Amino acid sequence: MNALLAHINFRKLVITLTISWLGIFVLMPHLMVVGTSFLTHDSDHFASLPLTLENYRQVLDATYAGVFWNSLVLSGITTVIALLIGYPFAYLLSRMGRVSRTVLLFMMVIPFWTNSLIRIYAIKMLLGKKGLFNTVLVSTGIVDKPLQLLYTDFAVIFGLVYILLPFMVLPLMASFDKLDQSLIEAGRDLGANAFHRFSQIILPLTMPGIVAGCLIVFLPAMGMFYVADLLGGAKSLLLGNIIKNQFLVARDWPFGSAFSVFLIVLMGALLWVYYKANQYVQKKGGMDDQNL
Amino acid sequence: MTLNSLFRNATAAAALLVAAATQAANDKVVIYNWSEYVPEGVLEEFTEETGIEVEYNTYESNEVMYSKIKIQNAKGYDVIVPSSYYISKMAREGLLAKLDHSKLPNMDHLYGTLLDKPYDPGNQYSLPYTWGSTGIGINTDDIDKNSITGWKDLWDSKWENSLLLTDDVREVFQMALAVQGHSANTRDPQEIKQAFELLKKLMPNVLTFNSDAPREPYMAGDVSLGMIWNGEVIMAQEEMPEIQYIYPKEGVILWVDSFAIPANAENKDAAHKFINFMMRPDIAVRTVEYTGYATANKTAIRQLDPETRGNPTIFPTWEVINRGEFQEDVGDEATALFNQYWEELKAGM
Amino acid sequence: MTRTSKSRTFSGVFKWLFIGLVFLYLYLPMVILVTNSFNKSKYGHKWSGFSWKWYEKLWENDSMMQAFGHSLLIAGLAATAATLIGTLMALAIHRYKFPLKNTASSMLFVLMMSPDIVLAITFLIIFIALGIQLGFWSLLIAHITFCLPFVVITVYAQMKNMDPNVLEAAKDLGASESQMFRIIILPILAPAVLAGWLLSFTLSLDDVIISSFVTGPGFEILPIRVFSMVKVGVSPEVNALATILLVMSLTLIAVTTYLIKRQNPQ
Repeated sequence: MNALLAHINFRKLVITLTISWLGIFVLMPHLMVVGTSFLTHDSDHFASLPLTLENYRQVLDATYAGVFWNSLVLSGITTVIALLIGYPFAYLLSRMGRVSRTVLLFMMVIPFWTNSLIRIYAIKMLLGKKGLFNTVLVSTGIVDKPLQLLYTDFAVIFGLVYILLPFMVLPLMASFDKLDQSLIEAGRDLGANAFHRFSQIILPLTMPGIVAGCLIVFLPAMGMFYVADLLGGAKSLLLGNIIKNQFLVARDWPFGSAFSVFLIVLMGALLWVYYKANQYVQKKGGMDDQNL
Repeated sequence: MTLNSLFRNATAAAALLVAAATQAANDKVVIYNWSEYVPEGVLEEFTEETGIEVEYNTYESNEVMYSKIKIQNAKGYDVIVPSSYYISKMAREGLLAKLDHSKLPNMDHLYGTLLDKPYDPGNQYSLPYTWGSTGIGINTDDIDKNSITGWKDLWDSKWENSLLLTDDVREVFQMALAVQGHSANTRDPQEIKQAFELLKKLMPNVLTFNSDAPREPYMAGDVSLGMIWNGEVIMAQEEMPEIQYIYPKEGVILWVDSFAIPANAENKDAAHKFINFMMRPDIAVRTVEYTGYATANKTAIRQLDPETRGNPTIFPTWEVINRGEFQEDVGDEATALFNQYWEELKAGM
Repeated sequence: MTRTSKSRTFSGVFKWLFIGLVFLYLYLPMVILVTNSFNKSKYGHKWSGFSWKWYEKLWENDSMMQAFGHSLLIAGLAATAATLIGTLMALAIHRYKFPLKNTASSMLFVLMMSPDIVLAITFLIIFIALGIQLGFWSLLIAHITFCLPFVVITVYAQMKNMDPNVLEAAKDLGASESQMFRIIILPILAPAVLAGWLLSFTLSLDDVIISSFVTGPGFEILPIRVFSMVKVGVSPEVNALATILLVMSLTLIAVTTYLIKRQNPQ
């Protein structure tokens, strides 16, 4: 092993590995999806020539406007709620001792070791008419008859926030960790009240974390087809449901690819926003933040 | 322990694990089936008797199974269990291997009425495993059973936001087509469009689509009326006898799940042995008891206990069967049309 | 003085109340899983008595145990490989200048931000194009790839905090790049590498969407198994499995915490 390593130029090896892995398994397939989106549907070979814009015309069809809108709204609400829960949570955790903080972080991650699909099934039981929520609501007399919680947008959002919350918390924690306490102290000494310290110092400095967290929640939320299937009764469609159906059920790969390209473009736009937010902070706080 | 030796050990361990995970036994058969569709213990008995290792993989819909078979060029799996019309579709596309009937002596036990169907004349590609129907499920604690007689009743506006439909384009359209007196296997764009218009009116009544265990929402109390598979009702009745099954008067949706072998399967011999084993009457009896679906095995039906045999939810009367309709392949064009309308229905909700 | 301490306790109570509520949200579904794993009823919509039978059934259910074993295997291997490759990538991006470096880092961003569904189809398309059989290898490659950015970011952050003088000194003493990496960089990075591994392991075990696209014959993992329990619904054996996993991981944490606390009582 040592002899082997010595023989190969380590530097070259590392660079080749990086470029080839990302090239073969990330860049190339993404380009192929873009390419496929311009091909014609062919039920025998998945996709074939000639090149066409038909798939994009279909994507923009009025039928799917509702799905786009629905996806954006559900993901948007999910993101806001995850931020409202995740921000104070990350803040409190980042102020704790090393051990308790590590333990709590672990506690947050542990449920993920049981697969998220299994947890979504459990949420389904929680929200049903005979589920825990309704049992408590009815027995305490808050409502007289069980509410329809399951198979609603509420259930979908509940599930999406549940699955994605840690992805909001982790980048926020990174931001809070880097937050220079002395800046806040300085603000206090200069007579800034709690609200000002928050809005003028803490919030701008944690902006990259906020944007990163929102991105990493907002985009994936639109793809979580199994949450919409199980908790939304397969009718509050997300973009992910359409893409999955086009690939595995209707087998119209070019059309499914066109939808994915839409998501990729949206991602590009949002990454640009993230980049701008970073620049903004670097200018303002003089902090350097390349990572999430 | 230095990092270096740690690294070396980890690599060695990983290599071992990979070898263990990918090792191919000499004799094996890879089954690709609906989950829990084979009674407990049967796979182990098969291995004991024949020495052939079984690998059991599962899928959640015919479409997913078909896509995977197609993607892999009909290789990798040895036995699959497609429903009715998928047999003709897959056979036509060259995805299925012809069965060697001489290796399947147990097919003598099968019911003549379920053989030689239009989707597979002469049973060249498939042999029936179980069959069942899609009808109306009802919770008789909440709704008077006599008030519901046919599919048409589901359109009543009092069921707003409360029905369950299966998440299956052909089944849902078959319901609407039956109400309009058309065949489920129509290729006429006009008839399909009419059915679509009718279904649009049904959508406000729909609470959920479910093809992963439709009995669950009934048992959880979230749904009291809608579509359901008969076997699901049998399973639900173990705990909740109030969940019952109605054969709609317009005609029930019938389907057969059949064994088939993908064209480029690597263990065709073992696949034949497995199919033959599953057609043994004692195994077929256990299948009915385990899944709640009817068997295509006439010898097994005689061996069933009278209560199961006489259960109209499992074994419908001839009258019901004759009024019902099996799904057939309708060709790419009509399929695409069905799919397009289906997306529109769901997207419009 | 009293006022401050009173408001301290108040904010302390409030703080723990909030944290408690968040954990209630996270663990309520787990409580349901655990409860139902002991429920005699098959469908878990009502309590019909305590029973161990689902654990016994789980033990006898070879194919479920096998799928579970496969999941752990993929998660372990993918996490290890992703940590290895990701650490090297972080090193490349941090220390070296090379063509396409910007493209490489944007690819990592794309990987992290992309909805799973998009990654899933990109993987499916590339595997078909390259003629890779869907199954063990396709799953492993896909899982390694989607874990990579998380490792790179964790490790990269730690690298930036490293004192460059140490490396310069080592170079002056004649250390080769690979020696420097093994002897100096890796030990400093150890905590970040470990964190990256854990994160990858978690992501891999949790994944549903990508796995359901790139899975193939002969190698079934748990989420696919659960996803396809359609004709009969999800069996309570899955609850039992989830409970065992939960107990195992919580024990692991408790033991680790105890050890850390004992090591540095401060």
